[in-house]
Order: sequence, then structure tokens, then C-alpha cells
Amino acid sequence: MATSGTAVRVEVARSHPDAQRAFVVAREDAHVILDLLCEIGRQDPSLYYRYSCRSGFCGTCTVLLDGRAVLACQTVVPDGGGTVHLAPLGGFPVVRDLVVDPAPFAERWEAVGARLSVAPASPVPFDGQEGTESAGPGPRPLDPAGRDVIEPSLDCISCGACFAACDLSALDRAFLGPAALTRAMVVIADPRDTHPADRLVAIGGPDGVEGCHGIGACSLACPKGLDPARAIRRLRRWRVRGHA
Amino acid sequence: MRAVPALDVIAVDVAILGSGAAGLMATRHAVAAGPGLRVALVSKGLVGRSGCSIMALGINAALGADDSPAIHFEDIIRGGAFLSDQGLAAVLSDDSPSVIRELSDDLGCAFDRTADGTVRLSPFAGQSRDRKVSHGHMTGLEIVNRLRDDLLRSRPIELADHRALDLLVDDDGVCGVVVLDARRGRPLLLATPVVVLAMGGSAAASYRVATPAREKSGDGLAMALRAGLPLRDMEMVQFLSVGLAAGGSKVTGVLLEESLRFAGATLLDGHGERFMLQHDPERAERAPRDVVAAAAYATIRDGLGTEDGAVLLDCRPIGRATLDERFGDIVARIRLTGIDPATEPVPIAPAAHIGIGGVVIGEHGETELPGLLAAGEDAGGVHGASWTGGNGIAESTVFGRRAGRRAAELARERGPARPSTTAADEVIARVWAPLADAPAGPAPWALADELRDLAWDHVGLRRDDAELRAARYQIGTIRAAAATIRVAGDAAANLAWQEVLDLDSRLTTMEAVVTAALARTESRGVHIRRDHPARDDASWLRTVVVRGQPGSLSPTTVPLTFARLAPDADRAGDT
Repeated sequence: MATSGTAVRVEVARSHPDAQRAFVVAREDAHVILDLLCEIGRQDPSLYYRYSCRSGFCGTCTVLLDGRAVLACQTVVPDGGGTVHLAPLGGFPVVRDLVVDPAPFAERWEAVGARLSVAPASPVPFDGQEGTESAGPGPRPLDPAGRDVIEPSLDCISCGACFAACDLSALDRAFLGPAALTRAMVVIADPRDTHPADRLVAIGGPDGVEGCHGIGACSLACPKGLDPARAIRRLRRWRVRGHA
Repeated sequence: MRAVPALDVIAVDVAILGSGAAGLMATRHAVAAGPGLRVALVSKGLVGRSGCSIMALGINAALGADDSPAIHFEDIIRGGAFLSDQGLAAVLSDDSPSVIRELSDDLGCAFDRTADGTVRLSPFAGQSRDRKVSHGHMTGLEIVNRLRDDLLRSRPIELADHRALDLLVDDDGVCGVVVLDARRGRPLLLATPVVVLAMGGSAAASYRVATPAREKSGDGLAMALRAGLPLRDMEMVQFLSVGLAAGGSKVTGVLLEESLRFAGATLLDGHGERFMLQHDPERAERAPRDVVAAAAYATIRDGLGTEDGAVLLDCRPIGRATLDERFGDIVARIRLTGIDPATEPVPIAPAAHIGIGGVVIGEHGETELPGLLAAGEDAGGVHGASWTGGNGIAESTVFGRRAGRRAAELARERGPARPSTTAADEVIARVWAPLADAPAGPAPWALADELRDLAWDHVGLRRDDAELRAARYQIGTIRAAAATIRVAGDAAANLAWQEVLDLDSRLTTMEAVVTAALARTESRGVHIRRDHPARDDASWLRTVVVRGQPGSLSPTTVPLTFARLAPDADRAGDT
């Protein structure tokens, strides 16, 4: 059924076999996929879907639009022809309908030790006197060299699009996956980190960077323009030659 | 009412409600200051992925050679028209430099640097010195990402998709918090002697055009009121001047950049006239945010806007090349609505952004209720009558840290809590009441839309006694209708039910705004009374404090004290 000028036909993957799947949503005011979800949610309040910020920062409204992972709040409703198909993100356990459990993503993130290690142990011990900390300098200066490696890889919104796009992540429960490895690259490249060599060992092997087949679906999927495939290539290089 | 699953009980030492910058900072410091304490982190949505902290553009700290906490403090006080609690404002200005050090040096936040490697400080509207620390346009995301990664070290009990329902109180103070696991539909009692309220509570999200994230229905403030706590400065709701206006679309209220106005964009009314030339002939579109927001609001309310109740931001004078180069993200946002800003004007409206008011706190986040702390947007008193950009996430991190440390101390002092499960059962019975076998009464989202419309129309940037009274009456009408709502389905993953619970919090926080706005018979900061257009320092160097049960909130006023900086009558610009 074609999408007419005034209405959009939507087919939604549902968890319950008896749940309504086909919906028609008025085109007026339905600018983005999230608008379709909210309107369908009013037609059938049993639909479970997720969103938060509406601005592309929180990464929680990711769904499959005609098979492609997109942020529902940042994706214009397709114009003309065909039914719009919405489904939950692949590679994750489905909680219900369009909501997935992000646990596999978080587990990989944790497995690479995403938190920077700094000396001394943080947080700095508190002396019990609030306010006295304000004295003193700004943050430690940081050599701008090397920031060009880190900066473009920072703004991960944990939307899971890369994870879902990566057939290794989705199928192989052990593979660390593109987002977590990108985070590892950022931490290893940071001159403040105290354990880059250990980290480079930990992210190796078939479950780590050596497992990546290099197809690059992750980089195509990232709605924020991060390039996980490149981060993984960097990590491989650093494992061989050491990182500068 | 559907059957309620058995109540689970978990005993903890500290419960932190909210996983934005304030809640995450509190978690980090509660664990650091109290090794071995059991800390629960409760988040209405996903942890570190809810609320507005992730959207913060920058964070202010007096780090420049020409700057000092005292100058930052004075900017807060004058910008806030002297309504701030000066002790709290001083905490913000004093502590924020060390918070930046912590975020950068301990947590690894990649703040923008200058060529010599020091943190770059940028100008921000309302700041007399360059003190905005940023990470591109993603400052809040970077801060929250790093704080979330810190949970890998602090290891609290993470409760995502858990909605806080009510505080339990006994003779010694707070003794628990009743929580709903919204994903599984199960009630949970956290038995705890210490609770940190960091849920980003405000009424701002309950306006037709509004910037905040979905979770922000003011649950924390409504809980605080039900527990008998006082809220201050609730009449102060901050609007930004350029929110996207796209009718019923969820992108309505999404923020465009104020700086578009300074780059050459003009503002047009429904007839194509530059209305700012009437309101502020000299500065026109380059006038300060609050002036432009109020003018745009008045234009729309006077029926001089577009047919859809917006005004137009005409970006064509900026030119496509500059738009794409400097404002690429914003152009992309605008294009989501099918409009190309390089070729046609963009419908916009002032967007409700932040609730300045909140729970009355002391300098460590302590409240009137022993064991209860509040931080971030749930707390009131820092920003006075007008908030300035960059001080929001500074408040969340500064007071989140203090509240976390204090929470650890209090947990040791107060010892384990023993809340009554009967009290928890009463809360759960109230919350479960709208769940039924078949829907009945109005749709919850329809009533929420009604509330958003009335808030925008009557509790916005031009208020008067009659409109506020009408608003109060209508809130009561909606509350009565809301009581008849029944939603179908079971308790697990039931968004209609969650919307009913949200609506209840929205009505209570909006009632608090209206109650305080009626009481303040002057104009100050973002509180603009058409029937009392002047700032009145003779009568109104006072804060309005609201307390009471939802449906019967009442205001009192408390004189302000000026420990550090008093208003000087002859100084121009203190408006």
C-alpha cells in the first residue's frame, strides 16, 4: 500500500502475536519517525517504545526503519511509496515490541575497561572541608598532539546502531564490538591513561580487534559520524607497532 | 485495580534518585566517601541516558586569569535579580573550578583546549568573563559519558527504568523510597536512611513548547511536596528564545541556537514584520535572550504570530554557506521539519527550558527532612530569578558532589532504616489504582496536552492575576478528570499507565508554579506580570515558598538576606 500525501502506512513488529501491527498515521505534524511512534502509541497504548531527549543526544530511540538502524527522533518519515516498517534493533534481547535490553552493549563497554585510569587514584581524597578545593590551578594542561585521534571518536551516544549493524556482535556473544573498541581506542590514546599497554593486550585476540572482519558496517550505521572501523584498524596497528 | 505483585524490599545505605549529572556525581562521591556503603542509583529511564544533562552546551567555572569565583558569584546574583540564596550561589562559583579539574583530570573529560594545552574558556551570554568550558556542542554528553563510565568503578546497585514513587518518612526522617520497576511492573521498597533527590524536577517540560527530555515530569518535586517539604522560587521558569515550532511533532521545542540571532537572522511576525524593532529598537534581534523570548511570546499571544501560533526566524540573511559551515547541526534539526532555513523562514517559539525553583536546600544539599538531600534542578535557590547558560550543569555537578559526600556521612550517622511496609503498601495502592481491565475516562496524553496548552497560554512569559487564577482552576479541573482515568493492560511496560503517573506529577509542579506566580505581585527576572510590570525591591526582596498537599498548595514569603552583595538602588541594569 502506497504512502499517500496525507497518511503514512506503518507496519510495526510486535512481541505479542495478537497485537495490532498495521497502522495508518496522518502525515500532518508527523515529521520524524518518533512522531509515528507517539501517534501509534495513542492508537494502541499497549505499544512499548522508548525515547528521551528528542534531539539525537540520548541514543535511546534507535529502531530499525525498513531494516536500517536509525534514531527515530532524527529521521524524517520517508516520503512517497510503500509501507514504513519499524522493528526493534537487532542483536539485543527484545523487552517488548520496539524496546530492547541494552545489556549486551553495556557488557562490552565494561569488558574493555572504558573508564580512564589516572594517577593518583581518583577521586582525590576529600579533606572534609568543602570550599577549600576551589583554590588552585585549572585542569592539567594536555598536549594537543594526538587529540585529532581522540576527538572524532568521543561523542558516542550508546545508541547501539553499530552493534546491531555488526554481524559479529549480533551473532557472536563474545566479540567486543565496534562501540566498546572505539572507546578502548580513545582511552588508550589518552596520554593521561596509566595502563595503555595492558589495555592493548586485553582488546586483542579473536574476541577483540583480530576478530573484526573489516567490512565497516558499523561506520556506515553510526548516526553521529563516528568511525569504529577506523578505530579498530588503529588498535590493530598499535598492537603490532605500539602506540605513539 | 489490578492485583499488585508482592513487594520486594532491598536495604541500602544511600538511595540516589536520578542518573543525570547530579545523580551520577552524587553516586561517585557517596561511594568514595563511604567505602562499603550500599548505594542504589535509581533512574527513570536508562542510566546516564535520561534527562537533560547530556544536552548541556557548556559548564561555567572561574578559571581565567581575569576571573575569580567572586566575579562569577556577582554575575549569578545580578543575572538572577538578587533572588538567589547567596550562600548557594557562592558554593556554585567557589566549587566549580575544582569540579572542572575533577571532571578533566580524574574522569578524563575531553574539554576543548587552547594551543598551549590549557582548557579553553569561551564567552557565554550573561557572563562578564570568558568562563564556559566545553567539548564542542556535546559538553553534557561528554561529562555524563565519563561519569557513567565511573560507575564501572563505584559499582552502585543500578536500577534502570525504575520510577521513584514516594518517600517514606518516620519520626527520625526519611526511611525509604517506594520505587516502581516500570519495565517489569513490580513495586520495590528501598529501605534507606538517606535519599538524594536528583531527578531534574521542574514544570518546564509541561509547556506546549518545551526543551526538556521525556522523563522530566517533576516527579521529584511532587514527591517532595507530598513529604511536606517547601519549594522556593517555583514561579521562575526559564524560557529560551528559539525553540522549533512544529505543531504536534515531538521536535517541537527542540532547541535552535540563540547565536543565530547574532549571526544575522531576523525575527518576523505573522505579517512579515520585524517585531523586535518595536520591542527593542536599538538591539532588535541582538537583544538578550529574556528580552527576545518575552517579545516573541507577547507577539504570539497577541495573535500577531503565524496561524500556527509561532513567529518566524528568518535565517536567509546568514546565507547558505555560513549556515552550513557554522550551524550545520542546527540546519539538520530544522530540516527534520521539511524546512530549508537557507530559503524559507523557520517557525519558532520561546521554549520552556529549566525550572529555577525547587526544594529549599542548605550548602550541602540538606533539606528540612533529616536524611533527605537534593541537588541539581530538583533544588532551588542558586539562580535567583533568571538562569544563565552554563550554570545548570555546573550546579548539577557541584551540588551532586556535595550531596554525595554528605549522603555518606549521613548514612553512617543515621544507621539502617526500618520503614513500614504498610506505608509502602498505601503508596502502591494509590499508584496501582488507575490500572484496570478496560480503559475508562479521558486519555492521559489528551489531558497532558491540555495542561501543556494552558501552561503555555497562561503561565508563560506574560502573566496576570486573572490568567493565573484561570490556570489554577483549570489545573483543578484536569486533576479531577485525571482521577477518573483507567488504563488497560498489566503493570509491566505500560506506557499509558506511566503517562497517568507523569500527569499527576506535572499537575502538582504546575500548581506550585501558579501558586508562587500568583503570590509574587511584581515582575522580576523571568517572572513577568502584566498587572505588576515593575520590579519592586521595596516589597519583594523576598522568596516565595510553596508547600502543602497537591490540590491545596499555599505560598508564604521569606525575606532574602544579602550576606555578600546587596542590591544597590541606583545601579542601572538590575532588572
